[in-house]
Amino acid sequence: MSNFLQFTVFGIMLGAGYAIAATGLVVTYTTSGVFNFAQGAVGMIAAFGYWELVSAHHQPTLVALLLVLILGASIAGAFVERVLMRRLHGASAERPVMVTLGLMVILTGLATVVWSPTVQRTVNPQINGQFRLVGINIQYQYVLIIGVAIAVAAGLRLLFYSTRTGYALRAVVDDPELLGMAGVSPNRMSQYGWILGFFMAALSGVMLAPTQTTGISIESMTLLVVSGYAAAIVGRLKHIPLTFAAAIAIGLAENYILNYIEPHLSSSLQRDVDVSLPMIFLFIALVTLPSVRLRAVGRLTSMRAPRVASGKESLIGGAAFLVVAVVVSVAFASTNIKGTTLLTLGGMVMCLAIVGLSLVLVTGYSGQVSLCQFSFMGIGAFVMGKVAGGGSLAGLLAATAVCAGIGALVALPTIRLSDLYLALATFAFADAVAQGFFADGSVYGSGGLQIARITLPGLSFGGDTAEFLLVTVFFVVSAWLVLAIRRSLFGRRLVAVNDSPAAYATVGLNIGFTKVAVFAIAAGMAGLAGGLYGTVQQIVGTTDFDIFPGIIFVLFVTIWGIRTVSGAFLAALTYVALNQIWPSSIGIFAGLGVILIGRAANGILGIEAIHVRLPWVKDGGATTGEAPTRTFGSLALGGEGSRAAS
Amino acid sequence: MPQAEATLATDDGPTPDHVLTVEGVAVRFGGVAALSDANLSVRAGTVTGLIGPNGAGKTTLFNVISGLQTPDRGTVLLYDTDITKMKPHRRARLGLARTFQRLELFGTLSAGENVQVGLESSVKWWQWRHVKRKFPWVKEGVASVGGVPLGEPTGPGSLAVVTSDRLLEGVGLGGMAADQASAMPTGLARMVELARALAMAPKILLLDEPGSGLDDAESQALGTLLTTLAKGGMGVLLVEHDMELVMRICDFVYVLDFGDIIASGTPEEIRRDPMVQAAYLGAVSETDAQKTHMAATHGTTDGATGTTPGTDDGEATQA
Repeated sequence: MSNFLQFTVFGIMLGAGYAIAATGLVVTYTTSGVFNFAQGAVGMIAAFGYWELVSAHHQPTLVALLLVLILGASIAGAFVERVLMRRLHGASAERPVMVTLGLMVILTGLATVVWSPTVQRTVNPQINGQFRLVGINIQYQYVLIIGVAIAVAAGLRLLFYSTRTGYALRAVVDDPELLGMAGVSPNRMSQYGWILGFFMAALSGVMLAPTQTTGISIESMTLLVVSGYAAAIVGRLKHIPLTFAAAIAIGLAENYILNYIEPHLSSSLQRDVDVSLPMIFLFIALVTLPSVRLRAVGRLTSMRAPRVASGKESLIGGAAFLVVAVVVSVAFASTNIKGTTLLTLGGMVMCLAIVGLSLVLVTGYSGQVSLCQFSFMGIGAFVMGKVAGGGSLAGLLAATAVCAGIGALVALPTIRLSDLYLALATFAFADAVAQGFFADGSVYGSGGLQIARITLPGLSFGGDTAEFLLVTVFFVVSAWLVLAIRRSLFGRRLVAVNDSPAAYATVGLNIGFTKVAVFAIAAGMAGLAGGLYGTVQQIVGTTDFDIFPGIIFVLFVTIWGIRTVSGAFLAALTYVALNQIWPSSIGIFAGLGVILIGRAANGILGIEAIHVRLPWVKDGGATTGEAPTRTFGSLALGGEGSRAAS
Repeated sequence: MPQAEATLATDDGPTPDHVLTVEGVAVRFGGVAALSDANLSVRAGTVTGLIGPNGAGKTTLFNVISGLQTPDRGTVLLYDTDITKMKPHRRARLGLARTFQRLELFGTLSAGENVQVGLESSVKWWQWRHVKRKFPWVKEGVASVGGVPLGEPTGPGSLAVVTSDRLLEGVGLGGMAADQASAMPTGLARMVELARALAMAPKILLLDEPGSGLDDAESQALGTLLTTLAKGGMGVLLVEHDMELVMRICDFVYVLDFGDIIASGTPEEIRRDPMVQAAYLGAVSETDAQKTHMAATHGTTDGATGTTPGTDDGEATQA
């Protein structure tokens, strides 16, 4: 009984910590319509900053709290709203997601630079000591966290429903123009929302850091509030009391599972459950959400879509690309960079470029943000290694098919929700797979999974040159396929479902089916890329397909142009190059890049000025010619050529 | 039933069937009743108007009919099929097409591609070779949508491209197929929406203020187009603030105010209905309006006053 009480108190404390972070997410979303993926990273920076002040510089707790929460987090929140988010008004829907992801990888990248991951850091509680109640020991820190969480929830409820500022904060996301006409600055309200959101993210980080008995780490602190995400989703990103209750319930469930169920599992499964639980909660929260109502919003996207190459142009371009690849393979056959042959790196570029192409399909064309393409890549590599010992075409086919199937399963539960939730589901899936599957020693093995080079009857691709040319052919065929899809009836539907879901449904097309189909195709492509990646590397390890590299790659594709084949290739090239030159700072580059590209929907390749200098970059958009006189002639008015009148 | 086949059968002319019936539909948003007890029906081969002041519930009713809004109660029938709980795309496949008050175009696609999406909506993308089979009227030179001839397919391009070009020509957008939809002026963009809806060869066409953004000549042309479509057997339900257009082309008109159908009848009857005048102009007090409306409906006059303004003929309106 005392154990149960102890677990309950700890669960409530944990839930209270989640609740602080979750309500911060709700506040930001309510006031700006943006889901801040960087919420966990802000909490992580606050926790490390607090540790730095208290433990490294011996500042008093109160001073450290004031500096971190009031000065640091609040100013950072105001800065992020003013500099990063405000200019995204009217940008394509996926852009705020990308910018907050960019912020997340910048913060984690900076933290890695400032606080070496190899040093263990433990944070002392804000209040030391404990007391005994009904036979169990309760730490004062737990009481503090629970008390702070209650105060935050009550304070926010009061703010939102009993003050004029609160009404304005709730109204700003619905109709900022109308709010402006009522004499309230919508920008200021939005800024207040971001300040509050950052404050609560930092507060949750600082409060939960002392409960990390093994010390704080950048990754664990960044992902610690994922359970908070689940609570915010249960609260449908708007109900603070529901969010609070869900957070407490999740904290309790997490603690009960860890203490009552996990000990009965095998040791490897124990670890998997331990690390995957928050993501599993998030996934369950998403699946149980009620369907979002399809609405006619009247938002007419004014983005100029990049011109799609014709079939003939695709063939010529593909052939030219292959010729260049052959020249490169001959010219640099023996070049090595840091112990790796240039052609092996080139092969990696081609594989990642295929992953980039999958993003062009799923995010660029159909507008669904997928953050788990690296997970499919990892699963593809795993399947490739396990089927016929690797190195076979059957393995590639299996990798593609298995990933397409899993992709459909991931997409199915979330298609009835808005696109943000798919992004969250893929985020949850990516981390759960990375932590619970790839990191499991029995999956890739302690030394990594060996995957042989591809062998065909009478043909072997054992050498780096042959392998490079083989994956290049796969890339060219994939690129041709993606362009062919875009030109096809299905491609028109992908763009249409992104532009106006309401119109899409009312012309008789099934939104859910289209979204699942494209997600499955993209997952299959990523699986194929993973299989090929395995054959290029010949060995894949536990960290190759982690969530952060996956997100960073998505950002690079966004930076170059997520709606173009060239964007996918250049992103892969950039990723591999930076990974060789500045591996520890690659996240910072990606984050800064996506922030700088801002609202340019077609990335660097969509910038008009670039088109002048690079003649091979195609013109964007269709031409708008002089409007002819409207006659309504042939269909209804009669006159020459009309049969209606006859 | 595939849309193409469904509509091609309407060339024989109007039928007396009610293609669309709305019965007792109610929708509440929180404490606000957007629709209280809406009843209306649309006959095949007619243009039916739905008018009312802003906020009366017209667009909400369109959303209920097209499946974007689930009603709290009531039923929607397409011929005899209850479509109340059907998803929007299923309704569309049964022959229900609509346009939107606030434009819902596929903005990054060209005008022609917008129409093609509607045209090809019954084609399964993984069976692209079936495209030809899905447009037999084009291939065989029948070439009509809603009874309106499109002409023989000529020139280069797939059947879908040729047909979408012809449809765009039909709504006055000839030569503009390559223009990006979001770059078009509102009036033209509305016509793209209309062409896209027509491309589905619908049995019932819901038009939400198609005339806004059009000048007088264009409005005239739109009226002629809609009348022609109706003559071809299509049922048209028109929400429009251009009263001249409504009164000129509609066979029957419903008036919606505060979520209730307050009047219905021929354009002439509606023009004279005091309830309608009260709702639109506030010219008559509500009590007087109700009295005179009752008189108009039941063919009697108030004994106290002896006269009923605006209901000279005392003709009964249809509910």
